[in-house]
Amino acid sequence: MSLYAYCLSDEVTALALETIRGVAGATPILIEHEGLAAVVSDYENDAVSVTRENVLAHERVVQQVLAQTTPLPFRFGTLASEARLRNYLATQKSALCTQLARVRGCVEMSVKVIRGTEAFESESTAQDSTTREEHQVAADLSGGAGTIYLHKKRREMMGDELLKERAEEIAGWLAERLASTVRESVVSVRPKEMLIVAAAYLVEVARLEEYRERLRRARDERREIHFLTSGPWPPYSFSDLSS
Amino acid sequence: MAEEELEILEQSELSLLETLDHVLARGLVIAGEITISVADVDLIFVGLNVLLTSTETAREVLGERQTRTQGLEQRAIDGGALPSEGSNE
Repeated sequence: MSLYAYCLSDEVTALALETIRGVAGATPILIEHEGLAAVVSDYENDAVSVTRENVLAHERVVQQVLAQTTPLPFRFGTLASEARLRNYLATQKSALCTQLARVRGCVEMSVKVIRGTEAFESESTAQDSTTREEHQVAADLSGGAGTIYLHKKRREMMGDELLKERAEEIAGWLAERLASTVRESVVSVRPKEMLIVAAAYLVEVARLEEYRERLRRARDERREIHFLTSGPWPPYSFSDLSS
Repeated sequence: MAEEELEILEQSELSLLETLDHVLARGLVIAGEITISVADVDLIFVGLNVLLTSTETAREVLGERQTRTQGLEQRAIDGGALPSEGSNE
């Protein structure tokens, strides 16, 4: 018999868990060790399937705890024996307490920026330039296939640079607009992907309305950017002990 | 991606994708203890870079769902009974 682990907290009480069902319909319980408590439930199988039901059950339990206090959520699919879990709590206690203090009173808010048509315009401009230059190079016959190839690579790199600059500019602009309401952030800039900026912000619950207002103003300011915003989430992006 | 392309994602699908993005890719890890099975994925999930990858998939799934619904409706008209919506989720 394994335990399915949902989250950790130093403030959660069993009372918060009495009325909900977790993965496989099991009632969550607490495994406690010197003031730290892991929220877990019994689980009989060796692996957890990624199904809608299981994912929502995991998130439902963690959200229930979040309504009471800010926990450190485990990644979906964490199974451990009770002995292994107790050992984890004992050996990682100091780091876990530091991490809990870091997120206390906060939630995670997510902002994703999706590559819009204007980004493609930049790309196509670069590609148009490439084509023109290739023609020019080919026309003056001053270079062979190698020269044409090098020119093409240079243009591709310039296109990549433009996308990177644009994504970084958006990430910087967003960070600047939200800075006063955000305690910490984890921002990933991926200019070559459709999701060019993925930002997770750690926001104090008391400042959520202010955060939302600032985000609303930022969106109004740059309507050409496609945003996907969500939250409040448990602090998934701020729970990794290795970070 | 044009904004209207995102609108094809139903709100519930978008919420689920965001949930997946959070619970699958992040969070505390006890070394060696993640034992997720992906053998019977029943979601519109195709990778950890969930959201955008899934937009195209979502279009396909929603398209298939529409086709399936039309098929089921046709069967209902022909005398069969409609299964509950949840049975296909």
